[in-house]
Amino acid sequence: MVSVLRTEGLTKRFGSLVAVDAVDLDVREGEVFGYLGPNGAGKTTTLRLLCALIAPSSGRAEVGGFRLGRDDGQIRSIVGILTEQPGLYERQSAWDNLVFFGTLYGLSAGTARVQTERFLRLMGLWERRGDAVATFSRGMKQKMAIARAALHEPRILFLDEPTTGLDPDAAKTVREFIIALRGEGRTVFLCTHNLDEADRLCDRIAFFRHRVIRTDTADQLRAELYGRATEFRLLPSPRAEDLARVRAVPGVRDARFENGSIIVETPDPLRTNPLLVRALVDGGARIAFVTERKPHLEDVYLRIVEGRE
Amino acid sequence: MTATSGPLAVVARHPDRATLVRAVCIREWKEALGNRLLVGMTLLPPVVILAAGIVAVAAAAANPPSERDVQALYAAAPAVQGLDPTEAVQGFIATYFLILFMLIPTVVPLTMAIYSIIGEKSSRTLEPLLAAPVGVGELLFAKSLASTVPSVIVTWIAYAVYLVSVSALGSGAAVNAVTAPRWILAIVVMVPLLTLLSVNLGILISTRVNDVRVAQQIGGLVVVPVVGLGIAQVTGRVVINNEAFAQFALVLIAIDAAVFFLARLGFQRENILSRWR
Repeated sequence: MVSVLRTEGLTKRFGSLVAVDAVDLDVREGEVFGYLGPNGAGKTTTLRLLCALIAPSSGRAEVGGFRLGRDDGQIRSIVGILTEQPGLYERQSAWDNLVFFGTLYGLSAGTARVQTERFLRLMGLWERRGDAVATFSRGMKQKMAIARAALHEPRILFLDEPTTGLDPDAAKTVREFIIALRGEGRTVFLCTHNLDEADRLCDRIAFFRHRVIRTDTADQLRAELYGRATEFRLLPSPRAEDLARVRAVPGVRDARFENGSIIVETPDPLRTNPLLVRALVDGGARIAFVTERKPHLEDVYLRIVEGRE
Repeated sequence: MTATSGPLAVVARHPDRATLVRAVCIREWKEALGNRLLVGMTLLPPVVILAAGIVAVAAAAANPPSERDVQALYAAAPAVQGLDPTEAVQGFIATYFLILFMLIPTVVPLTMAIYSIIGEKSSRTLEPLLAAPVGVGELLFAKSLASTVPSVIVTWIAYAVYLVSVSALGSGAAVNAVTAPRWILAIVVMVPLLTLLSVNLGILISTRVNDVRVAQQIGGLVVVPVVGLGIAQVTGRVVINNEAFAQFALVLIAIDAAVFFLARLGFQRENILSRWR
């Protein structure tokens, strides 16, 4: 896939504080790119840098083929940003809010109206289009802010905590929207604390704390940090001889009991798992389930970002 | 779900300046009209000044001045000595209220300009606004115009109503005073320039202050030189001839440009997003 966003040594200092320290990123066109890090790690500052809202102290970046610092106006045209706060004009209607921003992005009056209707319908807010935003719930405001960020159909959409504070239904709408964007080849740069959401949505994830610590797919990071494990749930509970049989199978790196199951770690599950099933069945065990054992992304996060085992 | 209308179906670009200014003005005016407090604070001064002026001219026409009033007037305003006392009093009163009309462009737009920036600060709407492909100078210019235009129109309407009322109720001297060329020039030329000064000062103060009341108190100081000059003009202590008037207008244009430049310096993406709280 083609790079749509690249940075080299991108740095932002505020006085003596280094908020973003020599960040190297390579985001591909059409992917959902997760940006995970603790509070105060510099995620929002990175977003502001990449949207040409603030200038870097050093380093360089290209966004959609435009150079940061030289083509800032073009960069702002091709990106959309969802900020931490919805930042809507509360006294004005949903319709007026979106049409106004459409105009700021250079859409003609007709296109701004068409896009406003599209996105209000998409976000389930069409019936409330004439109501002042002040009367909206937090979830509705967040959906409005997402609609505003996407109204001009940007190539790259930067989303800062898009589902924070949303009820499950609204969060689902937002996640489906992100998936639909990816399906249309648009790039989404997703800052989130919701690790389950990042795991479900992101093609690749950068773990970040002032600088990028590691970037990869969630599955690759899991495999690297925890190996690839398979869970065998037996009925009745597994016996000591079942564990012994499993350990004797070639390619098994480790096997143990855990919560009434046998957990087997192996570098090549495609090759080893059929042998394990046969060994257990031959030994008289009744296998109820065979499932891939995935460490939670939270464990991966804590290990990479916080250095915790 | 279909998120967009397809790859690059909609192309965003920098909006042309006229469209930007129109969009910002319409949005700001809708916002202002939805804020009863702001509408009240904006319309109250011109309504009070206008009503007081009309009542004062009508009262002067209905009640001939006492000898004591006339002597006091001659002492305060040597320029009217020699005129018929009744005419002189009416002329003086009519002109005195014109000074107050010059306060409208310094007071009325200040509140709107301050709300325009501090309101955006407090509602956190500046970041999405600044993320759009528009220049901050253009944005500031549009905001400045959005506060200036209503104030100028309100002042001109108030002047027109005052002129009609004085013509109907007052003496010839009062009408002559209100339609004196230097006052018409003041209304036509000085009102927009003073309004711009007040607006840009309001914006400049708003870049430094987060409290609307504090900003209003600081910005209110702009009325002091205006009142001083107006009183000196009415009482004849200072006579502004055409040449002085033109010079004064040029100085005001220079001050307007300087204040806008300073406001522009304070209104930058980096400052707003990193330092404004």
